[in-house]
This record gives sequence, C-alpha cells and structure tokens, in this order.
Amino acid sequence: MSSTPDDSLLEKPHMNPYWAGFGLGLVLLTSFVVMGRGLGASGAFTTAVATAVHSVAPAHATGNAFYAEYLGDGSVSPLKDWLVFEVLGVFVGGFLSGALGNRLRFTIEKGPRISNPARLALAAAGGALMGVGAKLALGCTSGQALSGGALLNLGSWIFMMCVFGGAYAFAWFLRRQWL
Amino acid sequence: MNAPFFKYGLFGDEISLVVAFAIGIGFGFFLERAGFGRARLLAAQFYFRDLRVLKVMFTAIITAMVGLFFLSRLGLVDLSLVYLTPTFVLPQAIGGLILGVGFVVGGYCPGTSCVSAATGRIDGMVYLAGMIGGLLGFAEIYPRIEHLVKATPMGQVTLAQQFNLPYGLLVFAVVLMAVGAFIAAEWAERKIGGKVPDTDSLLAPARPLAPVRRFAIVLVSLGLVAAFAGNPFRGAFARVDTKQLALDAGTKSDHVSVTQLADWIIEGRSDFVLVDVREPAEFASYHIPGARNVPLAELTPDFVARNERIVVCSEGGIHAAQAWFLLRSLGFPAVYLLFGGLEEWKDTVLYPAAPPASAPARDHIEFAKRAAVAKYFGGAPQTGGAPMPASTPALPRLTPPVPAAAPAGVPGAKPKKKKEGC
Repeated sequence: MSSTPDDSLLEKPHMNPYWAGFGLGLVLLTSFVVMGRGLGASGAFTTAVATAVHSVAPAHATGNAFYAEYLGDGSVSPLKDWLVFEVLGVFVGGFLSGALGNRLRFTIEKGPRISNPARLALAAAGGALMGVGAKLALGCTSGQALSGGALLNLGSWIFMMCVFGGAYAFAWFLRRQWL
Repeated sequence: MNAPFFKYGLFGDEISLVVAFAIGIGFGFFLERAGFGRARLLAAQFYFRDLRVLKVMFTAIITAMVGLFFLSRLGLVDLSLVYLTPTFVLPQAIGGLILGVGFVVGGYCPGTSCVSAATGRIDGMVYLAGMIGGLLGFAEIYPRIEHLVKATPMGQVTLAQQFNLPYGLLVFAVVLMAVGAFIAAEWAERKIGGKVPDTDSLLAPARPLAPVRRFAIVLVSLGLVAAFAGNPFRGAFARVDTKQLALDAGTKSDHVSVTQLADWIIEGRSDFVLVDVREPAEFASYHIPGARNVPLAELTPDFVARNERIVVCSEGGIHAAQAWFLLRSLGFPAVYLLFGGLEEWKDTVLYPAAPPASAPARDHIEFAKRAAVAKYFGGAPQTGGAPMPASTPALPRLTPPVPAAAPAGVPGAKPKKKKEGC
C-alpha cells in the first residue's frame, strides 16, 4: 500500500460483503439471544409518525386503528419503544462507521445520467412506496427479510422473494437513475 | 443459561432500551461498513453490477440462523420465545412487491436510508421524508384496506412447520442455497456486470483456502451437522431447582392473601397479571375483576412475558398450586399463589362476617374497612354477629361492576402495547 500524508483523508473502501454480512449476522444473533426478537426499522418511524399525529390531532390518532396500535395504552410515552431506540442506534452506528471510513459527505447518490431534482423526487417516491409496502407486509427488509429469514419464518420468505421480484421487474425502467 | 435473557426477566423495559440502542449501533455500523449507505451501490444489485445486497443479507441470515439453531439445540436458548412475525400470505406478497419497487425507485430500504442520512446523503434524507409521507397516507387509507392487511392469516408459522420438514434440514438447505447464490452472484458480476472480483471472494480468491472460502466451508459443515442434529425446540421436559422450589413453598414466600390482592386491585396496581386457571365456564360465572382466564392445560411457555409477576388462582387452591409448580418449571421466576383461592376470596373479600358485638373496637374498625372493600367488589358484608351462614349467599352472576371511582388500570385488562415486529 502506498502511504502518503493525505491517506487519512481518503475515502476507505467498503468492507468485504461476506464479512460485513457476518458482522451483521452476529448483531442479529445477539438480538435474538438477549431480547428474543430480531432487528427492525420501519416500525420506529411508524411510532414516531403516530406520536406526532397524536400530539397535533389526538382525537384523529386515537380514532384510527392503525395509529392506535402504535400508541399503546398511554401509560408510557410511545416513544419509549424498543425499535425507536434501536433506530436511534442505527443512525449513530452508521455515522460512526462513516466517520471512521472517511465516508461522511453531503452529497446525492445517483448515476451520471439523472439530474439532482429528479433523483430527489424518485427518492421521495421510493420512500413513500416503502412506507406503504412495509406496513402491508408487517415489516421491512430488516424486520421481515433479515430477522424473519433467519428464523425460517414462512411469511418472511414469501416477502423476500417478492421484494427481489418487484425490484428486478422494475429495474429496467429506472436504469437512467443508476447506470 | 436462560435465554432470551429479556424474556426470562433478567432485565426490565428500561434496560431493554439501552440494549436496543447498543444493538442499533452495531446494526448501523455494519450496514455502513457494507456500503449500504449509498443508493447507487445498493441499486447495482438489480443490474448485476455488484451483488453485495444479496451477499451481505444472506451471509447475515445464515450466520444468525446457524448460530441460533445450535444455541437452541444445546438448550441455551428457548427458540419458542423468539418472536416470530405472523404470516399473512397475500399482504406480505403484495407488500413485498411494493417494497421491491420502492427499493429500486428510491435506492434504499428503511434501515439503509437511516445510515445514508446519517452519513450526509441528501437523497437518504429525502427518502426518509418520503417514507413518513407514505406512512401518513397509509394510516388514512387503513380503515378501508384493513380487511386486505389481515387477509390470508396463517399465524406464526415456520417453513419447517409448513412443509413438515425437520428444522435442521431446512437450515442446511438454506445454507447450501445461499452459498450457491453467492457463487452464481460472483459469476454474474463478472460476466454481466464486468466487475473485477473482490480481493477475497469465493470464485477468485487470492489463495485456494482464502478466509472467505474457509468461512463458507465452516457454514456448510455446520449446516450438514444441523441437518442431522434433531429438533432445536425444547421438548416438554424441564430441569427444576428442587431446593429453591421447596424453599419458596416451605417459607410461604409465594403466597398472596385475598385481602392483599383486593388492595392491589383497588390501588390500580398494574405490575402483576392475575391468572385464573379454572375452566372457561366457571370463569364466565364469576371471576375476580381483571383476571385472565388460562385453563391449566393451556399454560404454555409463552402465555405471558417471563418478566411479569404472575398471581395464579383457582377455586380452592389445588389447581393453582399445580399451576405454580408448572410455571416455575417452565422458568417463570415470579409466580404467586392466591392463598385459599376463590373460596377464600368469597368468604373474606366478598362476604366478610361481622365480628361479635363484644369484640374489641379494633376488630370493628377492621370490619368496616372490609365491608367497604366488599361493596367495591359487589359483595355484601354479613352483619348480625352470626357466623357464616350455612348456605353461601348467592354469588353475583358476573364480575360485579367496578364503581366509577375505581382506577381505570385493572391488572390484566391493560392492553399490551404493540407487536414486536418491524
């Protein structure tokens, strides 16, 4: 390896995917053993949204069966929730890893053939689709595919096949965004 | 070792949030290490340019799956206590398709978008905003699509149960499938995507027994062992600490008196679960307010969280004592007996007898208090100095109505917050 004084500022390459997967698998296994549950992500945002709606329009939130499920019985703050704290950790862990690898950048990830506004519009649209899909499926790639996959959960494997199916089927239409 | 630790009550809700934060840091760290904070690298999966999504995800799945299998098989983890999201075939298939389209449109999934936003990616932040919009929209249409969300329910079911195959055999099959997919992925990356192989890969390793190849061999070998290792779920046999059980029973430290229980209910304490082990018909005719009916034969290892304080009651006390022993054997740490059962509850709480007129004033004051408690629970104090009438007074037909002044939080009636899933 050539070593110049500026090396410390250069972006470090990503980890070998198999070893990153091994690390992720050990984190997931820890969660199973310590907590008796897998990892998650989308649930934390649902709790946050339900709490926000509840503080703005309490009657509307408690009257909606979907929000009510995430608000609990009101004895404790709905934000004192396992997934909410886990996702806060995800932000911190991602930031730490990015900082250690010199990969913190204010930038937009996209292919060379798409404008920034178009990429951001698609990011928002993709996020919205993800919100709907994750709630229909009772989980996202973290809670369903990853955690449920490792537990040989029937629904998780159906879900996983459909995620890959949906993404590959639509990839051709979005090639200008990425390639 | 009694794991999952949380389900065995080794720590409470507050500590679990600290654990959540720590696990989240590990999760986010490895997602970023893997390059999952960058949409273009994630989307490359769908153009066969870089199949790291598949490699990372399936390596994580098989690592956790094999680890959990052996920890369970060795009796260190009770696999039945690890939460399994219930299966709803249709919504999960449709949700998966929508999520897949959202993945290639937006470039992230919820977890990876957090890492992306945390490392400064503006598209990741916008994606998160879009997801919040999607959730708001979903909530609004939810009442109209609720039937779809709950369509084709199959309960908590694993592939092993569904296809009636040994769990270990499926573990082996998934490991083989994943390693096969890794080899196919590396081949596709080179042929279709024109990617230069990673320095440490399965197909083009730096040396024949490179670490990644050794890792794959270890996983396949463990999978092969798993295929013949038997059922990872704990059977009906349990090991009990007879000395501890004898000590608890002998010192009566496992008793709760009916007056104590009545006080707890009136105070609105919600730190215990009252479990009535009688048959449903008996339960329907009368039960203590807030009690949950779980007949003796239905006491399973997961009928309530392990860290709950459980008070069991039955008509007299024999069935409750049997339930106490059963629950302690199943590993529930805090189980209490309602001493004297419902008979004692009726005699002492619902229909307390007045002391004779000659009794000291202290007894009369005590009786006045108990009379108030009796009225609270819809009973009636037996005045007139006579001992208990030979025929028990007619019992209230159903649970006596709880007075308006009563605190709302009745034990057991507390709706348990949320599902554990994603």
